[in-house]
Amino acid sequence: MKKACSALSVFALVLAMAFMAAEVCRAAETIKIGVLYPLTGGAAAEGRELRAGAELAADIANNVMPIDMDMAKRGGVPSIGGAKIELVFKDHEGNPTLGADLAKKLILDDKVVGILGCYHSAVTKTVSAVCEQYGIPMINDSSTSPALTQRDFKWFWRTTPHDVTFTRDLFELFKGLSEGKVKGVPAVKKDQMIRLASACEKTEWGSQVSETIEAMAKNNGFVVGKSLLYAAKSADLSSEVRSLKSAKPDALLFACYASDAILMVKTLKAQKVSAKIIWGQNAGFEVPEFRSTLGEDVVGILTRTVFSPQVAQVKKAAGQVNALYITKYNHDLSGASARAFTGVQTWVEVLQKAGSTKPDAIQAAANAITIPGDQLIVPWAGIKFAPEGADRGQNVMGSGIIGQYQKNKEGKIVLEIIYPFDLATANMIYPFKSF
Amino acid sequence: MDILAGSVAAGLLIGLVFALVALGLTIIFGMMDIVNFAHGEFLMIGMYTALLTSQTTGIDPLAALPVAALVGFLLGVCCYFGFVKYLLRGPMVAQLLGTFGLMLLLRNLALLFFGSEDRTIHEGLLVGQSFEIGMGIVIPATKLAAAVLAVVAFVGTWLLMNRTKLGRAMTATALNRQGARYMGISTERMNALAWGIGGATVTVAGALLVNFWSVTPFVGLLFTMIAFAIVALGGFGSVPGAFFAGLLVGLITEIPGFWDFFAYITGSSWMSGISMTPFKYTWVYLAYFLIMIFRPRGLFGWKS
Amino acid sequence: MEILRNTFDFSDCPRSGLVLAGIVGLFFLCFPLFPHSSFAMSTLIQFFMFSLFAMGWNTIGGYGGQVDLGMAQFLGIGAYTTAVMIIRWNTPFWITLPIGVLLAVLWSFVIGYPLFRLKGHYFAIASIAASLVLKDIFDVWDFVGASRGLEIPTTRFSSPDFLHLIFTQDVYYYYIMFAFFLIGFLFINHFRKSRLAFQLRSIKSNEEVARSLGINVQWAKMKTYAIATSFVGAVGCFHACYIKNIETEDTMGLDISILIALMAMLGGMGSLWGPIVGAGILIPLKSYLKEWLGATAGLVGIDLVIYAAIIMFISALEPRGIWGLVGRLGSRKTA
Repeated sequence: MKKACSALSVFALVLAMAFMAAEVCRAAETIKIGVLYPLTGGAAAEGRELRAGAELAADIANNVMPIDMDMAKRGGVPSIGGAKIELVFKDHEGNPTLGADLAKKLILDDKVVGILGCYHSAVTKTVSAVCEQYGIPMINDSSTSPALTQRDFKWFWRTTPHDVTFTRDLFELFKGLSEGKVKGVPAVKKDQMIRLASACEKTEWGSQVSETIEAMAKNNGFVVGKSLLYAAKSADLSSEVRSLKSAKPDALLFACYASDAILMVKTLKAQKVSAKIIWGQNAGFEVPEFRSTLGEDVVGILTRTVFSPQVAQVKKAAGQVNALYITKYNHDLSGASARAFTGVQTWVEVLQKAGSTKPDAIQAAANAITIPGDQLIVPWAGIKFAPEGADRGQNVMGSGIIGQYQKNKEGKIVLEIIYPFDLATANMIYPFKSF
Repeated sequence: MDILAGSVAAGLLIGLVFALVALGLTIIFGMMDIVNFAHGEFLMIGMYTALLTSQTTGIDPLAALPVAALVGFLLGVCCYFGFVKYLLRGPMVAQLLGTFGLMLLLRNLALLFFGSEDRTIHEGLLVGQSFEIGMGIVIPATKLAAAVLAVVAFVGTWLLMNRTKLGRAMTATALNRQGARYMGISTERMNALAWGIGGATVTVAGALLVNFWSVTPFVGLLFTMIAFAIVALGGFGSVPGAFFAGLLVGLITEIPGFWDFFAYITGSSWMSGISMTPFKYTWVYLAYFLIMIFRPRGLFGWKS
Repeated sequence: MEILRNTFDFSDCPRSGLVLAGIVGLFFLCFPLFPHSSFAMSTLIQFFMFSLFAMGWNTIGGYGGQVDLGMAQFLGIGAYTTAVMIIRWNTPFWITLPIGVLLAVLWSFVIGYPLFRLKGHYFAIASIAASLVLKDIFDVWDFVGASRGLEIPTTRFSSPDFLHLIFTQDVYYYYIMFAFFLIGFLFINHFRKSRLAFQLRSIKSNEEVARSLGINVQWAKMKTYAIATSFVGAVGCFHACYIKNIETEDTMGLDISILIALMAMLGGMGSLWGPIVGAGILIPLKSYLKEWLGATAGLVGIDLVIYAAIIMFISALEPRGIWGLVGRLGSRKTA
């Protein structure tokens, strides 16, 4: 009798803990935006970058700073009574289910005005579905799977260009190579650059990249000798690398997150596998850790990106923000932090235009907004979302760049712009020197 | 041809390390019929030990081997006296539960202390070096060193078990516990020693592996599965069985390479279109499954 | 009639305990009426789901003593069946449910037949192996979305859709899961007094003796496995509609299998209340510890460290779990 009694009371006590409904206090003068990023787990390195970029943007938006950017002069959102932006960070660990769960919690318990995130396309997929269900606006700053904007969602906007754009850039570069348009490289015969091999991580993002590469290769007369999908959590990639080697490719194309990108290049080096071009689809290939751990080995590797410190030559604001970022974090902005910055900036501009935190007002503002290119730190023509159509919510004015890691005169490794050809800041190293 | 040769070489090299991983499991099993679920977690601790030692002191990761061995030995002995001793009295289900709990404990302690990020050794004497030995075979120096040292450790343990008085006492305990006790052997101490040696061999294997594998707190389970597959193939409790089964499992993980080779020589496009790399460990699990069902005594059947 | 009486017969439980259980049950029934956070709600839904998983696991693992660590594969089968059928053919959930359960049970026969020739650790590891093999296959199988997973498009249905189980408010999921929970609970109450359960207990204590008593050991285990997997498969079908995004890592990963087994082990194997107590402790603590410690203090994994320590402790001292520990303390007091 007693035993059952005591057991059940323990049980009841524990359950009671679950119901202590933490009622959220709502501060009047701040606008809460839920930010979902991978702060721990395999992509923690990118998570740190993203968070730093987003925090810097919120800082600039909430204070008046000497930067040539409208956001920096307002000190809040004047159209909503000068309210400040408050970012509520949550860590989704790269797990889509956890991400959806956290999004629900942010919407229902924390009562956020909108969501920003989530980096991993797989997580953005589930989180945007939750937002769509609850009618809460979400701006996506850094997920590039094309499928995300092809679902006709009413509450989803994406600032970054997606992988079709980026992959098209790559094939333009190939075309430029054969036509001799690339700075510092004489025309390469088409049959010298024909066999491709790709290895992509296997979730939403990588699978899409792999498919896009295959489709574009077919249309442009390339041969994909091997296309692998692998788990980003893999601790060993040697059989993947050997399989790539067996395809004897002219160009190796990758879509990797942070830790696996480093592991991949290390394994390539250990197995002495290389190709004339090694190209990475952003993400892992441009986090600061990538070049700091691999050092000289990255020289000659190409990556698509949306930011390079060289952008400052074209855009004044980019240089100012980058300088601020360096004083805070001791390294240049990367593609990830620049895009997170732009994501928060877009949120601020949309809220300013909406003049209200009501979802409908935000929706109308987001569909109508045009942010001119000179406001941005990324080399885009601006931000304007497609209000409908096959790519609904996609920023139609975005563009990508392809950078190459090179050693500059001081012996520092920097990302030089190779494509677009008219922006090129250095001669391309071609072919890739073997490891 | 270079594809085939490369795969065979890689499979054999990693197989030697796998054999060392499985050695501890089979020794402990042979001594006291208990299967250690936390085996892979011991390996994970070995990996972290080597990694952190080399990163904090700046010595080469391979020089951290003795540290890893010491940590493993102490860990094994502590686990035995602090925990496993009590488990042995209980029913089989409790033993299973217990080592399962130990696995969770070690894994999550690692998560607590080291975080979930992957860590890799970036600096070291051999890291990034490799040899080309003709026929297009490239052998990374770290793998070669790991394989050679794994064989040394394996043979050393075998000699310890078979050529020393202590080893013979252990063997006696394994064969007949009651009899050994009558001969004045402290079976308790022998059991602890088996856990110590088992722990030391597997942490050494971990310290070797960390030169070319990245480590997370979750890396253990894969190796527990691999070790189980090896022990099942080689016969439970059989030390030479573990050696040859390790090589075999190493080759099994290279099935994607063999597939690529056959795709290449037959020139069939559907074969090269399919990538086998996602299945590299599936075959190991399948091998365990099939062996356990059709030949529980192991492929070589040295000892049941 | 006999079956019904058996199902609702709790006469062997102490009355005060039953009263308390009744109060807790009433609380569950009224919970959505009180103000609550969505976090508490989803925690409770998870509690119901995992109680059912653990109850199912408990039939084969607790009563039968066969420690299965591959339960997630059946969760995956159920979830994928429902997701595929809803996405591709717009099939109502209530039709996918029996099909999902059927497929899970069929698969349990396919792998159960060879698996139950093994015992103890060999069985446990083989069940992991089977589960991982299935997961690897699902990971490359395009029909089920491969590693990219499947997403049930919520925009296609207008909430509340009782036919497809697509809701915006969690409260509907809550009550449906609560109903599942009650049905499962009553079924286990029936099961534990059935002939099969007695056969299992005798198999667990000594298989040779059980065989000599004329029990068909293999068949008894397989029947129980089918019961266990139908529990897991059914909740798996629900999981698909609740989570709406199905992928191999989350539905078929080993962590889920471990968690399921852990709950039953922690609460007490082979008892009616054990799995519920286990889930009742593990799930709220897991989500709240994660919320409080994991996210803010960076103490990721602390929850499982605590459980692992408890598991080790009880396995060395009291293999019957917390329920057994409570029972021992209780009997010592009365003695």
